Formats: sequence, C-alpha cells, structure tokens
Amino acid sequence: MDKVIHLIRMQIGAILIDMLSIGNFGTKKSKESGYGGLVLFVIIMSGVSFMYSIMIAGGLEVFNSLEILPPLFMAFTSLTSLITTIFKVKGTIFGFRDYDMVMSLPISTAGIVASRVFFLYAINMVFAAIIMIPALLVYGVMAQPGILFVLNSIVTLFFIPLVPIILASVLGTVIAYVASKFRYRNFFQIVLSLLLFVGFMLLSINTGDTGQKIAQMSRILTEKINAYYPLAALYTKAVIHYDVTAMLSFIGISVLTFLLYTIGIGRCFKWLNTKMLTGITGMKFKMEELKTNSPFSALFRKEMKRFFTTPTYVLNTGFGVILLTLGAVALLFITSPLADLLNLHFKIEELLSMPQFAGMLGDFAPVAISFFMIMSSTTMASISLEGKQLWILKSLPVSIKTIFRAKIAFNLAIVSPILVDTVIISFALNYDLFQGLLILLMAVVYALFISMFGLLVNLKFPNFHWTSETIVVKQSAASMVCVFAGMGIVFVQYACVYVIPDKALAHLIWIGLVAAADFILYRMLHTYGMQRFLEL
Amino acid sequence: MLVIKNFSKSYSKGRKAVDNLSLEVSGGDIFGFIGHNGAGKTTTIRAIVGVMTFEEGDILIDGVSIKKDPVSCKKAIAYIPDNPDLYEHLTGIEYLNFIGDIYEVDKSDRKTLIEKYAEAFSITGNLGDSIASYSHGMKQKLAITAALIHRPKLLVLDEPFVGLDPKASYTLKTIMADLCKDGSAIFFSTHVLEVAEKLCNKIAIIKDGKLVASGTTQEVKGNHSLEDVFLELIDEEK
Repeated sequence: MDKVIHLIRMQIGAILIDMLSIGNFGTKKSKESGYGGLVLFVIIMSGVSFMYSIMIAGGLEVFNSLEILPPLFMAFTSLTSLITTIFKVKGTIFGFRDYDMVMSLPISTAGIVASRVFFLYAINMVFAAIIMIPALLVYGVMAQPGILFVLNSIVTLFFIPLVPIILASVLGTVIAYVASKFRYRNFFQIVLSLLLFVGFMLLSINTGDTGQKIAQMSRILTEKINAYYPLAALYTKAVIHYDVTAMLSFIGISVLTFLLYTIGIGRCFKWLNTKMLTGITGMKFKMEELKTNSPFSALFRKEMKRFFTTPTYVLNTGFGVILLTLGAVALLFITSPLADLLNLHFKIEELLSMPQFAGMLGDFAPVAISFFMIMSSTTMASISLEGKQLWILKSLPVSIKTIFRAKIAFNLAIVSPILVDTVIISFALNYDLFQGLLILLMAVVYALFISMFGLLVNLKFPNFHWTSETIVVKQSAASMVCVFAGMGIVFVQYACVYVIPDKALAHLIWIGLVAAADFILYRMLHTYGMQRFLEL
Repeated sequence: MLVIKNFSKSYSKGRKAVDNLSLEVSGGDIFGFIGHNGAGKTTTIRAIVGVMTFEEGDILIDGVSIKKDPVSCKKAIAYIPDNPDLYEHLTGIEYLNFIGDIYEVDKSDRKTLIEKYAEAFSITGNLGDSIASYSHGMKQKLAITAALIHRPKLLVLDEPFVGLDPKASYTLKTIMADLCKDGSAIFFSTHVLEVAEKLCNKIAIIKDGKLVASGTTQEVKGNHSLEDVFLELIDEEK
C-alpha cells in the first residue's frame, strides 16, 4: 500500500510540474510557484462556478424550482467528467510514456492499476469540487436547508465522478483498442471519438418546448438527465429529500462499479498497454518516387502530421471548429426552404421567428464566432509538443521566423472553416452585406490573434518533459492561460456589445481593437518571441 | 572548417561548463573530442551546431560566425546527438524527406543517398514504419542516414557509437573515412578511447570545461596509449 501511495504522489507531483511548466519542483521557490499557480487556478474556476450558480439559482428561485440546482450541477459535473476522461484514458490508464519504467518497479500490476485509476479519480475530483461546492453553497444560502443537506452533499460529493470515469474509461479504451488494430490508429481514434461526440450531440438535442421559461426548461432537462443517468435521480433523492436508501444506493452503485472496473482493468492492463504502445511494423517498404517541398512547406506538413496523429490535440482544438460548422450548416438547413420541402421542423424555428430572439442572435453571433475561434488554438501547445525533439528544429538551417510562420499558418488553416461558417451564418440569418463583412472580419482578426497569442504564450510557458500529449494540450500552464485569457477577452467583447446600443459600431470597435492587438503580437513575436526561442 | 575561439559557457550561479576553449578542425580531419562525464563535451557540441546560445567567444563554420548567420552555418553542418529523439509521429521515410526538404536536397540526389545509406545500415525495410516502433539503435541509424543525405561539410556527432551494433559501427567508421577523403570534416565526442585512437587524426581532451590537451593523435598520446594519457591528465589535479 505504501508503494502505491508513493506512486500516486509521484504521479501527482509529475502532473503538477507538467501543468505548471516548472522545471525543478525540488526547489522551495518552484514549489511555492507551483502551489500558488494551482491555488489561483482553483480560485478563478470556483469564481466562474459561483457566478453561474448564482445566475441559474436566481432564475430557478423565481419559479420555486431552486431544488433543481444541485442535481443540475451534479449532472453537469458528471458530463464534464465523462467528456474529459474519454480524452485522458489513453495517456493515463493506457499508453502512458513511462509505462516501461513504472512496470519495472517492484509493485504489483494491481497496485499500479489502482494508482493510475486513483490518479484519474483525483483529477476529476478536483474539477467536481470546483463545480459542485459553489453550487451547493449557493443552494445552501438561498434554500436554507437543514444540516442533513450539508452532510449528505459532502458525503455524496466524493462519489459523483466515479461512474462517469468508468463509462468514459470504457468508451475511451474501446476506441483506443479498435484504433490500435489499424496502421493509421491515431486517425481512426480521432474519427471514432468524433463520431461518439456527434452522437452525443444528436441525442442530447432537446426538441422540447424551447419557448418555455428557465424553470420549466431546467425541469425538463433534469427529467431527461434522470432518464439517461439514473444515478442523478438517486442523488436528488439523497441530497434534496434526505432519502437514506437513495444515498446508500448512490454510494453503493458508484463504489461497486468502480471496484469491478478496477479489477477488470487489472486483468487486461498489460495486454492492452502492449497493444497500444507497440507500433505496427513489418509492412514491406518499397522506395517510391520522392516528392520535394520547400522548407516552409516541410515544416507545415510536419505540424499537420503532428496534429492529425495526436487525437487529444485534434479533439481539443478542432472540436470547436467542427461544432460551429455543424451548427452553421444546421442553421442554414433549418432556415432554408429545404426544411419545408422535407417537412422537417425544429422548435428553434419558433425562436427564430420571434423578432427579439432573432435580433439578439444576429447581434451576438459575432461574439459566438469569437468564442469558437478563441477555443481553437493549435499554437498554444505547438512549441511544447516539440518535446525532446526540439533539438531538431534548433539545429536545422531554417530561420526562427520560418518556424513560427509554419506553426501560425497551420493554426490558420485549422480555423479557416470558421471563415466559411461566417458566410453560411450570414446567409442563414439574412445579414446584409455590411453585417456579413463585419462577422467575416471578426473571424479573420481573431484567427490571427489566437494563432499568434497561443504561440507567444507557449514560448513563455513551454513544457518539454511531458509523458502524455494530453497534459500539454489540455492541462499545461500555456493551455490554461490561453483558454482563460481567451474567455476573458470574449466576455469583455460580450459586455461591450451589450452596453453599446449601436451593435454594428460595437463590433467595428472590437474588430479594430483586436486588429491592433494582432499588430502588437506580431511585433512581439519578432522580438521577444525569437529571443525566447533561442533560449529554449 | 570549424574554428572555436575562446568559447565559454556559464550556467546559472556562475558555474562555467566550458571555459575559454579554442580549437580548429580542418577539412579532411576526423577530430575526437574526449573527456569525463560532465566535462563540457555536449555543451561545446550544442554550441557548435547552434542548438545552444552562448555569450563569450565565437564559433566559425567555414569562416561564418554561428552567432551572426546561424542558418548559413547550419546548412553546412549535420548533427547527431547522443540520444536521437526523432519525430515519432513520422515514418522513417517521412523523416528523411523532411530533412531533405529542409536542406533543399534535390529529388534524384535524395533518392540515391537515402537508398545508399539506408541499405548500408540495413534499415531500408523499416523506412515505412513509424519511428515510434524503432529501437534505439534503429533511431540512431535513421538519424545518421538523415545527416548524410545532404552531404554535410561538417559532421558533428555526440557519442555516435553508443547503441550501434558492431556492423553499424563498422559502417559508420567507413562512411566517416569516405567523407573525409571528400574534404568534409568530422567532429565527434566519445568515451570509447580505442575508437578515437584508431579513427581520429586529431584529438582534444577536455577536463572540467577546460582544454587540457589538443593536437594530432600522435602528439597527444606520444608513446603511450590514449587511455594512459587520458587517465593521467584527468587525475592530475586530484
């Protein structure tokens, strides 16, 4: 047991170092910086959760539906655990780079499996606490429930992530295993994961009465969640209605399935890891006609290969582009005569026919474009992903400018479909030429912004000692700075558009500001950025 | 071909990894750079190939300063580190093509040289496989092949024989000799003193960042074995 605890501590320490890009965690200063950064992260995320809890609680209270708040957030926490854990399975439970080293230690396979699974639980528990505690506090203050609420909600909190972790792990493992059968395993993993998510999206589209008020929408949503995820119903009974049987059932089911899962994983741990860590070899190679490219093109193609062979990279940065494209096409379809022709009608048409809603959608669509754009930065991880191969780039006869241009160009290529989406959305929402140009320009300035900003942030906070790409793409200091700064920028943009009565003017001002920022970032890349690269 | 002038490199807290190093490597030389662990060999090599910046001194490749025009210098150099971490998401042939593109090696030349060196190192059959599936030795062979396909004027290797099987080691030695006959220069660090003694026409010994011996192999070792000379020099200040 001691050895397993040591292993868990080592893994958590490694994650902290990876996340916060701290090279030497042994020094006092590094440890203080590390913990300080983590505390700041927790405070910010908790603040966001508080804000949302208060907003939603306010709406629910008006319609005497405050009791929906805890189960709603529980469902959201479970969904977050589910979606994020699917990405983490390969790299945490299976296919982690220090597999050989860990498996050579005098610790039983069961112990190693327990440490990896607990490690996954610990990561999810942090996020569960960040999301749930503020929501439970808000409910506690507003609803003034008894002491039993406090006790039950604290106890059940620790069990919320268990079942979602299992579901996600099983799905993630199946995807990774199926993909491992193919030569282009990473490509298949990406395709399978995308199909899974699109499936989720299609299943969860609520074609109920979207015209109803928040409380009724939340009730319908909660009923749907309880139907798909029965543990949510047990949770509600346990925490809101103090049902002891429901609480014991919730805890029992969660723990039992988790234990069964851990035992099951232990049995196939070595076999699955061998499958996933072994490349497919033995294909008879025949030298064919070689194609030549320019150095810039070669670097661009390397970025492209890196991107498409790293499933977590694709899913994390490309997902926003895919989602927006699907949404734009769906919007176009819904508002086109084709929907009438095929006699397909969606409740959202009801919303679109309401002038207030249609107007709001038209005014804030550019903000939505900005949001999706800001979430699609490949450059925020592109320096870190060079990893131990950085020596190659640094020893090659190419200028740093060319290296930067290739990385930025690739990011621009990835987000370019959003430019097409703006045209589609303009058609769907009947924008005039000026509005259409505004939304297109917004996409262009943001595309440049996020490509250059991401690169600068990654130069400032690189991490070359990762053992899993997931750490770099999703949990590093660079990715967190980019995501939170991006969200902050979009939030300020939203506030500006909300406050300024002339929406077109608001968008124009914002485009100007982002374009100015683009120019500053360009200069910074040529000065600070290049110097920083030399120092890496 | 390679001139190192008063090169020094300090890390944090003022510790000097290399202190006032000067040496010259001419075309046709196979220059052995030997020293104990932590002596400053890799630091020197990293500075030569432009992977690491430095403030004191200068390094000239074919008369051009690596500080002032790193891209031109790097065009003439091929570098193979001691632990060649390569792009695992690429196949062997993709990596070779990538290097060929960066060094602007023309198509026919590239094909001929890839075939030649891949065959010499017996990795032709593996070129279609992902580098992630390669063993350490295979990665080393691939890195050497990639270094040779652009006909470097200066080949810089850090512990090149570690991880190579005997046949590959022999092949590499043969290739090194052929390159030097064509006028290229080779600068490599090694712990294997017998190889340095047999292969190199010039040797430098570095100890705690300082050059303690330099010259032709005969000048450095005299009537003794290189091992004896090395051990004596390293033990001198104890």
